[in-house]
Amino acid sequence: MKTDNKGTSNWKTVLFITVSATLLCGCYALRSSDGGGQTTFTPPREVRAEGVALPNGYTIEAVASGLTFPTGAAFDEQNRLHVVESGYSYGEVWTTPRLLRIEPDGAVVVVASGGKNGPWTGVTFHDRDFFVAEGGVLEGGRILRITSSGQVSVIVEGLPSFGDHHTDGPAVSPEGWIYFGQGTASNSGIVGEDNSKFGWLKRRPNFHDIPGEDITLVGHNFKTEDFVHPSSKRKVSTGAFVPFGTPTQPNQVIKGQTKCSGSVLRVRPNGDNLELVAWGFRNPFGLAFSPDGELYVTDNGFDDRGSRPIWGTPDVLWKVEPGAWYGWPDFSGGEPVNAEQFDPPGKPRPNFLLARHPSKPPRPVARFAVHASADGFDFSRSEAFGHIGQAFVALLGDESPATGKTLNPVGFKVVRVNVANGMVEDLAVNRGPRNGPASKMGGGGFERPVAVRFDRDGAALYVVDFGVLLHDRNGAHPQENTGVIWKIRRSAVP
Amino acid sequence: MRQPLHKLLIVAALVGIAGCRSARRGEPITGPMPISSSTIAQGRLVFQRHCHQCHPGGEGGLGPALNNKPIPLFLVKTQVRLGLGAMPEFHKQRISPEELDQLTAYLRALRTAAQHTEP
Repeated sequence: MKTDNKGTSNWKTVLFITVSATLLCGCYALRSSDGGGQTTFTPPREVRAEGVALPNGYTIEAVASGLTFPTGAAFDEQNRLHVVESGYSYGEVWTTPRLLRIEPDGAVVVVASGGKNGPWTGVTFHDRDFFVAEGGVLEGGRILRITSSGQVSVIVEGLPSFGDHHTDGPAVSPEGWIYFGQGTASNSGIVGEDNSKFGWLKRRPNFHDIPGEDITLVGHNFKTEDFVHPSSKRKVSTGAFVPFGTPTQPNQVIKGQTKCSGSVLRVRPNGDNLELVAWGFRNPFGLAFSPDGELYVTDNGFDDRGSRPIWGTPDVLWKVEPGAWYGWPDFSGGEPVNAEQFDPPGKPRPNFLLARHPSKPPRPVARFAVHASADGFDFSRSEAFGHIGQAFVALLGDESPATGKTLNPVGFKVVRVNVANGMVEDLAVNRGPRNGPASKMGGGGFERPVAVRFDRDGAALYVVDFGVLLHDRNGAHPQENTGVIWKIRRSAVP
Repeated sequence: MRQPLHKLLIVAALVGIAGCRSARRGEPITGPMPISSSTIAQGRLVFQRHCHQCHPGGEGGLGPALNNKPIPLFLVKTQVRLGLGAMPEFHKQRISPEELDQLTAYLRALRTAAQHTEP
């Protein structure tokens, strides 16, 4: 009897201790957001290769610094490194978008400049020319062709890029098509307060998401304050795929368009034959062809923000099948958003917006951490670097609290993905007791890796580090002249 | 009065220990993780499919870190099945009993992987 009582008491003690420890250490509701951008910064940025940890046998060095909002890299036929500076950043900061050549000594040569229509989100090189995705916050998205001498021509324009997400990519297929991504206007199909905070709703009050084919709506509407006319003090009702303040009806049909939101499109290098490849993405930022010629894209998951917040959705890597619908705005990574796992804490469960779904969305190749911002990527093709056929992906890092709460910084690193089984492994991360950007954790390593690119012989991986991007309740605060280009090589076979 | 105080001190100590031990893992930080059995290898895939997105590599992310929490694995199994707070429940149709065993085997291996010792 005595032994039994003691045993019961011990069991209860263990349970009490473990449950208490669990709650105290990990309770999501009790803890405030601690995103990577939630810190302070005093320039200049410290850049130290020793701040980055790599697997044995790999080394890293900084090859350029002091750039403003770099977003992509490409190599010309002479294997010379070129980088695009965005010309725009969240936080409504405009600079001049530029295509730069980085000389071996780190010197910067301006090849071409753009106007006030950033962000330039990526670049690729094909057959003597560069192709740049112009995000088009003010004038709409475009695909630009830039000669080596800096002559700029437009091969696609009029893309729906005035909103949260922009025109992305591009990548060249083995057959010579230029593929690119187009992000959605809103987080989850409804224009609302979050878009006002981004800054674009007042500029473009009639802008909204556009489907890639005719869709039929359930007719859900979301009542909010009138953020376009805040002095009116009135409430407005907003439906899906329509302008802010416009309600929708059950079974209302929205016409699809080729230049649609959340899509991958392709065009010939001379601008002919623009085609919709697939849609139902949210923000297909990175595009790359695998060594066996398959197209993959990274896609940023939903945020816990706006009129229809969706929680806990991962960024994903998709293998793109022509003609497929990838699930936005009603599925995340192939899972319906009305499942319990996506319930935003303290907010209503999201319902479907579409009365009929175009098809069953595919399953992703890989899932990244929620809010990691999986962006530009490239495939290894050389034993000189190793891991042939794996995708190397830049994780820009969370933008909390704007996109939702995180208990710890997420992303701020480069990972590799085995596309055969979906395993995601770290390649390059900042040292220190916790993960996070150097501006928060110290050490002089990565801030925000936004893209990677192998050089032409595949021996070195270049990491485009956007630079310092702070976040607080008032929004994003990008820091000019803090961008860095890093170079990773394998110095020895382990 | 003695027993509750005693328990609180233990809880505080455990929390303190959890806070001191690093949750960091991954090849750049702790070297390649040895996968000593097919059960752990399968558990790694289960973790990648269901857990990595909120607890990347067992470190903190959207949710808390797992690698440095001194929680018995039977309670981890319970939490997976029932959910807790913001964490959703994972019923048997999503993670089968066999997969849950594989998952906890992997979590045990991850927890005991080489500790990060840098400042």
